[in-house]
Amino acid sequence: MILRRGQKVEIYKKSKDESWEDYMDNFVGLHGVVTDPDTTKNDPDALIEVSLHGKGTHRFPQDCLRVLEE
Amino acid sequence: MTHSTCKVFETVNNLTYLIDSGRLIRPRLQQRAKDLLKLLKDISLGTGGPAHLSVIFKSLAEIQIEHGSDETCMAFIQIVGGALDAHKEVFVSHIETHNCPTGDCAKLAPAPCQTSCPAGIDVPGYITLIGQGRDAEAIELIRKDNPFPWVCGLVCTHPCEFMCVRARIDTPIAIRDLKAFAAERAMSEGGYKNLDKDPDNENKVCIIGAGPAGLTAAYYLVLNGYKVTVIEALPYGGGMLMVGIPRYRLPREVIDREVAMIEELGVDFRYNTRLGVDVTLEQLKKEEFDAFFIAIGAHSFFKMGIPGEEDFPQVIDAITFLRRIAMGDRHMPGKRAAIIGGGNVAIDAARTALRLGSEEVTIVYRRTRVEMPASEEEIYQAEEEGINFSFLTIPIEVHGSDGMVNGLRCTRTELGPEDESGRRRPIPVKGSDYMMDIDTVISAIGQEIDPIGLIPLDDLQWSRRKTIVVHGPNMETTSPGVFAGGDVVLGPATVVEAIGAGKKAADAIDRYCRGIPQPTLPPVPVRRQRLDCQEVPAPTKMALHRPEMPLLGTERRRITFQQVELGYTENMAREEARRCLRCDICIRCGTCVEICRDKMKINALQLGYFDFDHPVETDFRVTAEKCILCGACATNCPTGAMKMEDRGDERVLMLSGTILNRLKLEYCQLCGAVLGPARYHDYITKRIDDISQRIGDKRLCVECARKALAQQHAEIAPPAVRE
Repeated sequence: MILRRGQKVEIYKKSKDESWEDYMDNFVGLHGVVTDPDTTKNDPDALIEVSLHGKGTHRFPQDCLRVLEE
Repeated sequence: MTHSTCKVFETVNNLTYLIDSGRLIRPRLQQRAKDLLKLLKDISLGTGGPAHLSVIFKSLAEIQIEHGSDETCMAFIQIVGGALDAHKEVFVSHIETHNCPTGDCAKLAPAPCQTSCPAGIDVPGYITLIGQGRDAEAIELIRKDNPFPWVCGLVCTHPCEFMCVRARIDTPIAIRDLKAFAAERAMSEGGYKNLDKDPDNENKVCIIGAGPAGLTAAYYLVLNGYKVTVIEALPYGGGMLMVGIPRYRLPREVIDREVAMIEELGVDFRYNTRLGVDVTLEQLKKEEFDAFFIAIGAHSFFKMGIPGEEDFPQVIDAITFLRRIAMGDRHMPGKRAAIIGGGNVAIDAARTALRLGSEEVTIVYRRTRVEMPASEEEIYQAEEEGINFSFLTIPIEVHGSDGMVNGLRCTRTELGPEDESGRRRPIPVKGSDYMMDIDTVISAIGQEIDPIGLIPLDDLQWSRRKTIVVHGPNMETTSPGVFAGGDVVLGPATVVEAIGAGKKAADAIDRYCRGIPQPTLPPVPVRRQRLDCQEVPAPTKMALHRPEMPLLGTERRRITFQQVELGYTENMAREEARRCLRCDICIRCGTCVEICRDKMKINALQLGYFDFDHPVETDFRVTAEKCILCGACATNCPTGAMKMEDRGDERVLMLSGTILNRLKLEYCQLCGAVLGPARYHDYITKRIDDISQRIGDKRLCVECARKALAQQHAEIAPPAVRE
């Protein structure tokens, strides 16, 4: 899964990554838009910037993201 | 989607229910409840001040003394006091930010653009001010949340535009470009000013790194009265803004002017001072700083790990290359340069090499153009300038002789099946090796943090990504009194994220120094103003299109570092600002559409942009075709975004300033009272035709119609009485 700017995504589960913080539990189920993917090398381990609908912009590990539409 | 109810909104509802239930029997208690409800509604509507909470607490205490034993009194106290005890911060946040994060308090629902901005800028506010020609005020508004409006106007990745509701109709508002326009104007006209500073306090804060995160923290701390010292390795401020972003995207003067505004506030800058080399943490600690903020960025780089990489001076990394050029070196790196990597930094390095005179610049990337991580806009501009791309290519060895590079051995790849991460791995094609004729190699395959200087902080926790671990809402590290933000926490990230982190850290440091508890959730952006909407007729609102950014000619772009984006003209900027839908006022709840369609059966509102996930067609012009100006939509609008007004001989309907419909008014032919438009009158007449008598063809108000009808009845002769 290569994430691109502008793609709609869903936080569909909690991540097991160490960068996942407790307050992020409230974001599960929310939809958003990828605003800054890894612009260096498409690293699957990179944290991806996502703007969540009504909940601000945050960086997430990729294992909790699901693409909603191309 | 998940949704939690706002505690202010919930308390207002619960108290209203209790009052309406009639359970509060004692008149005095009833009055007390109504008074408190009024105060709570103020908070929910954004008109509450700091005194509201103290009055509520005082009232609750008095009520408890007066009516403590009463069972209903206990319920009352439980509703208000219980909510305040458990969620006081939510009430305070409503008062301070004028935003309700859940959007339940309709008048305080934040606009998506503001919510998505990592710095939390009041976007609708400044767009409106720019639309009105008030550029300096727009910049003053922005600088309440971001000290770098000009820098961000040129290089921000603009998450706001991705969430812009206008994009659901056509294209997002050019928020970033409008900011650049206003900043340039304000600076040029002398209207770019610092905010007022609080009186000095005794606290001292040390900031390590003068990049966007460090400078932002310095700005807000010094405004708060702190004595701030900034340690910076470079001879000037700006960090990656200065040495990582090429001048054709961000002119040096822009950074210098905005950094100078921060210097003007009295921040003590110690330039040419590298942590761990020129000064140690131990030495800094001896200066008795109350808190530290680490914002050293990610200035180190990954190596390619191929033979020959370390053997020639013509093989350099992009970070060093860009820094050298930013600091004044204008030597051509080589006539034929190969740039390794497919990200934004690779594009920056390639375009910079071209401007320095390299005759042939080739970006070598192991996958295809579709997989390139660089932004589409950057790739397009590089292609325009004549940068070559060698896709599906992996460098395997740098060749050279006598200390000079003379070729890069590469191998062709093909994309294999998707791996577990969903990416198609590039697989080398056997026997496809070939020599690329080049004399310079610039690698741009990623950055990392250089932790030298931070090693003595042995209680600092590092992540497996080699970044500092912080608590996101307040940027607090595991080392007491030490905060961190920007790339050193996120890895290479965006300018506006660094600014947001600096702002959060400044607030957290202030709390730390004053002994106030830290927030547990990310901050709620502050609504700075609720400005009146600009009026724009619906056809204009639909016809206005996002202007294309004028660019420097390609010929000149290839040979100079002049800014590529030339900026909007005044007319372009003002017109673009008028496209804004003012989502800080209209919360897209859909009540107007439902009432018009389901209750009035008119269906005059084609507002398909309301839904985030499934927007459908929007056309503001349709309203004028069907709308009867009954006002049902405006009456039921929870935020006042939909307004209906009589102006002279017209009735006008507006949604956040967009004039959806305007019709001539009719007047009672007997008394002259306003009746509404003919279309409305016809609609009503048709609806009541079967149940009410018509009074000829006259247009009459209700009062006159009643009188006329009574007159008709009086004229009817009673039946003759039989003798």
